[in-house]
Amino acid sequence: MNVLIVEDEQQLAEEMAAYLSKEGFLCEVALTGASASEQIAVNRYDFVLLDLGLPDYEGLDLIAEIRVGNADAALLITTARGAVEDKVKGLDLGADDYLPKPFALMELLSRMKAVARRKFGTASSLLQAGSFTLDLNARTLLHKDQPVTLTKKQFDLLEYLVLNKNKALSRIQLYEHIWGNMLDDQYDSNFIDVHIKNLRKKLKEYDQVDWLTTVRGVGYKADLE
Amino acid sequence: MKLRTKLTLANLLFKILFISIFVAVTPWLSQRINLYQTDNELIAKREAVIDLIAQYGVEPFITADSENLFASYNILKEEYIVLEQTPLEEYWNYIEVSPRQLGDETIDYRVLNYGFLVDGQSYLLEIGKSLTSIANTEANVRRITWFFLLAFLVISSLFELLYTGAILRPFKILTKKISQTNDPEKFDARPLSTTTSDFQVLDKTLHALMEKINTQIRNEKQITQNISHELLTPVSTLRIKLENVLQDPRLPNKQIAKIEDALQTLYRLKTLVNTLLKIARIESSQYLKNERIELGTLLHQVVEELDHLAKDKHIDVQVLNLENLELKEGNSPLLFSMFYNVVNNAIKNTPEYGRVIIEGLHSTTSQAICIGDNGPGIPADLLPHLFTRFKKQNPADHSGSGLGLAITKAIADFHQIDLKVESAVGEGSRFIFALPAL
Repeated sequence: MNVLIVEDEQQLAEEMAAYLSKEGFLCEVALTGASASEQIAVNRYDFVLLDLGLPDYEGLDLIAEIRVGNADAALLITTARGAVEDKVKGLDLGADDYLPKPFALMELLSRMKAVARRKFGTASSLLQAGSFTLDLNARTLLHKDQPVTLTKKQFDLLEYLVLNKNKALSRIQLYEHIWGNMLDDQYDSNFIDVHIKNLRKKLKEYDQVDWLTTVRGVGYKADLE
Repeated sequence: MKLRTKLTLANLLFKILFISIFVAVTPWLSQRINLYQTDNELIAKREAVIDLIAQYGVEPFITADSENLFASYNILKEEYIVLEQTPLEEYWNYIEVSPRQLGDETIDYRVLNYGFLVDGQSYLLEIGKSLTSIANTEANVRRITWFFLLAFLVISSLFELLYTGAILRPFKILTKKISQTNDPEKFDARPLSTTTSDFQVLDKTLHALMEKINTQIRNEKQITQNISHELLTPVSTLRIKLENVLQDPRLPNKQIAKIEDALQTLYRLKTLVNTLLKIARIESSQYLKNERIELGTLLHQVVEELDHLAKDKHIDVQVLNLENLELKEGNSPLLFSMFYNVVNNAIKNTPEYGRVIIEGLHSTTSQAICIGDNGPGIPADLLPHLFTRFKKQNPADHSGSGLGLAITKAIADFHQIDLKVESAVGEGSRFIFALPAL
């Protein structure tokens, strides 16, 4: 999943990016409100972590922009402003959660996971896909308690398909959310196809994966329940 | 060569030439001057002797027992006077050089011969001056001149070196300032302190130029930001609308495919604009370049990222000698995408069961990374346009933006990496990234 970190304090932004990257997120950083506004207008994100107290931009305006350009993105507000008003206003405008500064990175991560679960309508961090179980916390795949080794990208791909189950995802959507925007000029539909092919092959060693279907002319879908 | 050295050398050369001519001409000239001087002295002495004779007659000099001859040499035989009564057919009055035998040595004299009549008798007056004494004086003078000239040469050259050094110091500061300015925004804007008006003008012009460039860069930043925002917001809106249409479960498959097609076109438009903006931003140095980057690690990540594509085509990707390849200042996402583009291209263009080699080249003076494949190669006539925007090796190939290598080149330039391509049709291509010297 890809995350936009909007934070004017560069060191904090880098720390957040490094931590979240280790946890399997794809991070982009915007150090100014202007560049955040631009990135929001151009790219798609699963998460936006927004510092409301940006010196060059009214944070609440950014929320409105996110709601237009990235309606699906989960929005987490981080700010030193303790004011209840801002918090309420932010949540009113559509923020999914609010995290006052200073916060621990672990706290941030667990809030993000909670928001993701809410957004994708899952109650637990264990997702069922046919006879397979995805452990979103440990980022591992199990087949009847037996671990299945996947590459990081294969897991990301599977996770994204299963989280968006029964929804046809285009190759572009998959590429954007899992590989991000840095390499978008190198996008090639074959890229995703080969990954899916390998993923299917790997899963078939354990069980049938009829639920992982190809949607002609569109992309892929996890047909579950 | 430095301007200061050049100036000093030119001056030195001129002085040496001048002095050489002077030294070559002086012996002849000083001889002439000396002879002239000597002759004048001899004539003055003749006048004195003639005056004496006019006053006292020849008797005080010539007596009967002196055999009509008077001769006087000074002790060191540098000069002599001879007065002789002798029959003369004409009155001699000339100066010549003639040798005289004195004891066992022969001395060259400058001799004045003068004939005159006293009481009907003709006399010859000879006044001589030794040429050796003249030569001695001459040699002395010459030695002093030589010493003086040499001293002049050394002292004046030293002085010039110091003087030009001092005068050219502002110039030196200015050149240093320019050569250290990679980024016009970081140009040291403090005015140069100098009294030389040429340097003041130069300094002012440079400052004005830098300021102009900075304004342009600021404008470009503003423009790129505006383009990005204004151009891509409608694209984004259009995309959201199409995606919402796709959510309708009643939509027939045929329509879905068409809308998906439109979405792909939109995505291409987005990446195209994005990539062009990215190139513009790289070219105007809007990216940070502040990380120390271990290129071996980065390349391993690139290979890992593309591993599945290589395996799918059974391409053997070899990674060799990538230890200790480092960039002092770099932007890791940019460098990642630079190598990603080239490795991705190599895998894409190499047929099944081919080979891609990523190799570090180390020498004592330089380091490079070479990414080579044994694919079909690039025709020689396409090589010069390889990094040109929208030039594709295969115009029918619709994958990618046609900007991949243009952005690769821009990123390489941004990091002062010299990127070269070698290719032969049928043998493969090699992309060589020569790293800046550490």
